[in-house]
Amino acid sequence: MAPVEIRDLHKRFGSVNAVNGLSFDVEPGRVTGFLGPNGAGKSTTLRALLGLIRPTEGTATFGGRRYEDLDRPSTRVGAVLEDASFHPGRSARNHLRVLAVTGEHPLGRVDEVLAAVGLSEAADRRVKGYSMGMRQRLAIAAALLGDPEVLILDEPTNGLDPPGISWMRRLLREQAASGRAVLVSSHLLAEVAQSVDDVVIIANGEMRGRGTLAEVLGGGEGGVAEVRAQDPERLASALEQRGHRVERDGDRLLVLGTSPAEVGAIALEAQVALIGLAPRTRSLETAFFALTGGEA
Amino acid sequence: MSPLLRGELLKLRTTRTFVTLVGVTVALSLVVVGLTAILGDHFTKSDVRETFTFDFSSLFILLLGVTGMAGEWRHRTITSSVLAAPARVRLLAAKLISYALAGTVLSLIVTVALMALGTVILSARGEVTLGATDLADILWRNLVAAALLGAFGVCIGGIVRNQIVAIVGLLVLAFALEPALLSLAPDVGRFGPTVGAPSGISGISPNGGDNGELLAPAVAVLVLIGWVGLGFGVTAALLRRRDLV
Repeated sequence: MAPVEIRDLHKRFGSVNAVNGLSFDVEPGRVTGFLGPNGAGKSTTLRALLGLIRPTEGTATFGGRRYEDLDRPSTRVGAVLEDASFHPGRSARNHLRVLAVTGEHPLGRVDEVLAAVGLSEAADRRVKGYSMGMRQRLAIAAALLGDPEVLILDEPTNGLDPPGISWMRRLLREQAASGRAVLVSSHLLAEVAQSVDDVVIIANGEMRGRGTLAEVLGGGEGGVAEVRAQDPERLASALEQRGHRVERDGDRLLVLGTSPAEVGAIALEAQVALIGLAPRTRSLETAFFALTGGEA
Repeated sequence: MSPLLRGELLKLRTTRTFVTLVGVTVALSLVVVGLTAILGDHFTKSDVRETFTFDFSSLFILLLGVTGMAGEWRHRTITSSVLAAPARVRLLAAKLISYALAGTVLSLIVTVALMALGTVILSARGEVTLGATDLADILWRNLVAAALLGAFGVCIGGIVRNQIVAIVGLLVLAFALEPALLSLAPDVGRFGPTVGAPSGISGISPNGGDNGELLAPAVAVLVLIGWVGLGFGVTAALLRRRDLV
């Protein structure tokens, strides 16, 4: 049983289908990137997982148990939500002390996590004087307080400066390396590409792609072949007749889920002269826009 | 004491609001009681009882309860609170109990302080003072009223969620609607949550009228418990089904 299991999740707000039949797992020891355009349903999915909103249908569980059914949930799951908010008049240390008392964690953990996120010196200042990046670090400290098995992070790099983003990338990798399951949503595709092992891409509340990063970048198990031909339209038609997905990239064709050898064979059969043929790895951005139907 | 309750009490102690409120309440109560004891003449025991019941703790803890619960929505801390304690009804219960305890502590500090000041001034002026039994009687009434109003404030904050609307609404209820209702229709007004029932507990009519229009203290306590129970039920139902988006 995976640490995070989402099965046929639906959430409707009135007439709006925010999430429509999502299913995926997050595995231990791996960072899973959760990508989608604004309004795709990422935050709704994460909030359903965390018991903050009620799914209309389906389940979102941690090892088969709903968040609200977990014993001492902060020891199982740490979460950083996009709009992490704190009482402005409370210091970071006191905010964490409240969470430590409520979650039955030793108070010594407060200093440990403050140090881990680099907030020790500012710990006794009231949060209203914090920058956005400092608030984000505090939210991460709160998530780490219970030393959880699963980390859920919704746009965790928001407000972080470049060193902060680099720190976040290392943190994600370290957490996964220690065996934790990490689910991170982000719109910073370049950042995600450097941090994640697996990718889940959604749009309009629906699954558009999932797999390892290599699979998604490759367009499927067979990779991507980049081809230039004298008559690209005729070649594209021949490829599509054989069931291949073809994307136009200027005067090039990107053939998803296949190899250059197979493309070459189809071109020969279709009597289309080739100018160039090579394997190609898509950028995550290209894959993202191809899968979500957006434009790069 | 449950971790959840300890966490809620720690929340109360770790902002300046509660400490400021205690200071303001004590100061205001002492000024009013001090001036009354200095400027008044020919005090009867009933006058002294009324003076010692005049503490601001019930009003302020009511507003603090509203602020504490509605503030979870205003500052959007309700999300982290529910993540830490996903059993939402237990979370609400812990907050309600913590504000009841805070009301008790606030009223204890204020009542003891104003009793000490008032007794010293009245004794120095040769006016009548109250014995230990009377003082204890006033004390329990003040403590119970403050505890229940603190809890009631939490419920109102959870139902209305907008701090300003909730506070203004309660002030209108406490200073205009309920006193008017108590005067015009005492059979209805004496059951009110912010003036009617609390006045029954203290045994002192807010309109300076006949105390016979008020509920008996024990009945008034039960009525106020009923208001808190009703508020808790409504707030719990809303909180359980509300999506935290």
